[in-house]
Amino acid sequence: MRLARSDIGLKRVYPLLESLAALIVGVIGGFIVAAALGYDPVASISLILLSGLGNLEYLFSISMPLALSALAFILPLRAGLFNIGVEGQAYIGALAAIYILSLGLGFPLPVILAPLAGALAGFLIGVLKVYRGVNEVVSSIMLNWTLFYTVSFTVSRYLRDPLIVHQSVRVDRMLPALEALILTLAIVIAVHIILYRTTLGYHIRVMGSSPEALKYSGGSESRSIIVAMTLGGLLGGLAGTLQVYAVSGFIDVTMSAVFGTGFMGIAVGLIGRATPIGVLPASILISALIIGGHRLELRLGAPPELADVIIGVMVLALSAPYALRLLSLKLWG
Amino acid sequence: MELDFALFIAFSSLTFMTPILLASVGEIITERSGIVNIGIEGIFIASAFAAALTAIITGSLTLSLTAGVTAGALIGLAHGAIAVYLRSDQIIAGLAVNIIAYGATIVGLASIWGVHGASPRLEVYMPTVSILGYKTPLVSLASIAIAVIAWYALKATRAGLALRACGEDPRAAEALGVNVNKTRILAATLGGALAGLAGAFLAIEIVGQFTRGIAAGRGFIALANVAFSGWNPLLAILGAYTFGLLEALSVYLQQYALEYAYIAKTIPYLGTLTIVAIAGWKARMPRSLAKPYIKE
Repeated sequence: MRLARSDIGLKRVYPLLESLAALIVGVIGGFIVAAALGYDPVASISLILLSGLGNLEYLFSISMPLALSALAFILPLRAGLFNIGVEGQAYIGALAAIYILSLGLGFPLPVILAPLAGALAGFLIGVLKVYRGVNEVVSSIMLNWTLFYTVSFTVSRYLRDPLIVHQSVRVDRMLPALEALILTLAIVIAVHIILYRTTLGYHIRVMGSSPEALKYSGGSESRSIIVAMTLGGLLGGLAGTLQVYAVSGFIDVTMSAVFGTGFMGIAVGLIGRATPIGVLPASILISALIIGGHRLELRLGAPPELADVIIGVMVLALSAPYALRLLSLKLWG
Repeated sequence: MELDFALFIAFSSLTFMTPILLASVGEIITERSGIVNIGIEGIFIASAFAAALTAIITGSLTLSLTAGVTAGALIGLAHGAIAVYLRSDQIIAGLAVNIIAYGATIVGLASIWGVHGASPRLEVYMPTVSILGYKTPLVSLASIAIAVIAWYALKATRAGLALRACGEDPRAAEALGVNVNKTRILAATLGGALAGLAGAFLAIEIVGQFTRGIAAGRGFIALANVAFSGWNPLLAILGAYTFGLLEALSVYLQQYALEYAYIAKTIPYLGTLTIVAIAGWKARMPRSLAKPYIKE
């Protein structure tokens, strides 16, 4: 590459330029799909990109659960594990939060106890991988669907709103936005410290970059897998907890308040280049696109999933850092 | 009476088996060449949409199936080319395929039919043969034949050997005169085409229309089946039938135990998880799976 090894400043900027290149590719992808399916591409894409930035408080509140679900994805990712189960961990975390709050227990109990349900799901994925060799992607998706319908069942049977069918009881006292923000930032810093300042994090990173080296560094592969997946599950559970405790206040049998939290977290984690700090700006970007998608529906009647297309194409671009590097060299080199 | 019920479940399992089996055989071919495509779920969705749209516009079963197969082949080709030439992380690229297909087909539902949930009913029907009085889709029988042919082709033909060499030791394959990159892309395209046929079958025969996120995890059940089979198309028939049986039971129980419909819906997923956990992921996967081949 043309980049000089000593040029640290430029090297720091590189991930940012690559994420920007991915955004450009994503926007082009969204543009093509919008045009092909008969929507005004310029109007709809610019609405998605810009209208989400209008209400900052709403933007931040949407982005907090996404930042957490991104952490749930990247912590195991740094060990080379794909926690696609964040989605299901968020469902069960949300359900547990509703239940705990319905008992009248207040802060901080919901954010301490409810995520444990997600941790259990992550633990199961890790144990199945270590002891039965089950690929974590497959077990994650099977768990996601199982948890989806289990949560639907529980909501419709045991936690139903007496007046609204198919909807859970409402949270009486929501977590104030400022407290949710402080909590999210604290977790981001905690994950940063775990990854870069602890032996556990060191083992996780060694396992991800060169698995053969792990035993020479004194780590155990089995333990690293189980711990990384359990922590991932805990964070996924917390993402679901915040989704109901700080954003929606309820869930329904179609999971609409939580649906997508895990999958969008994957995009956020990748755009943040799998670093805890990078997750923060990335979560705001993705939230802006999601809100933009909803505004698009209100103003032009086009479906909000157009934003999903842009995000999906961004993920596709980010799957190929090699190609992205070549592209950003062309654009900014 | 009990025999009737058993036969009814046995034959509906054959129908539910079909998309899983077709996609599993396609994925076995793809993976044995060295590429893993976890975007089968997305291929199911996109090809089901293409097949549904074509069926509604033309009313022709042949064109509808062709559209499904073509959509699948194109996505397989694109994923293969991105994996080979852009050296992408194949897991992430597959996830992206799923996200894009899910989103784009919902945009399509809204733009073409002005709805967010489901297309109109399809008026095309699969040809069936009657076995013991139970109507069985021809494609279901064909899917078993396809699995047997794929098993033979992989095991006993020169092309099959070359394909497997690409997945085991691409450097040695290249030394023997096999074009690794071309072989992998062809395998990925063929795998995509089979998943595309599966998606068309799903929309036409199983659901009868296109619905948002129509695949509902079946793409990942096929992935589970690939490992369950130890990358062997013959064993994939057994696995796919078992997963088909789970779905047949689930659908039956949803209708007859309404109160517990949500619980019945977990059967295919929980069952799949239990089966792979008990069977274990023991079989050895192709050695160079998901690793890009970079010539020096």
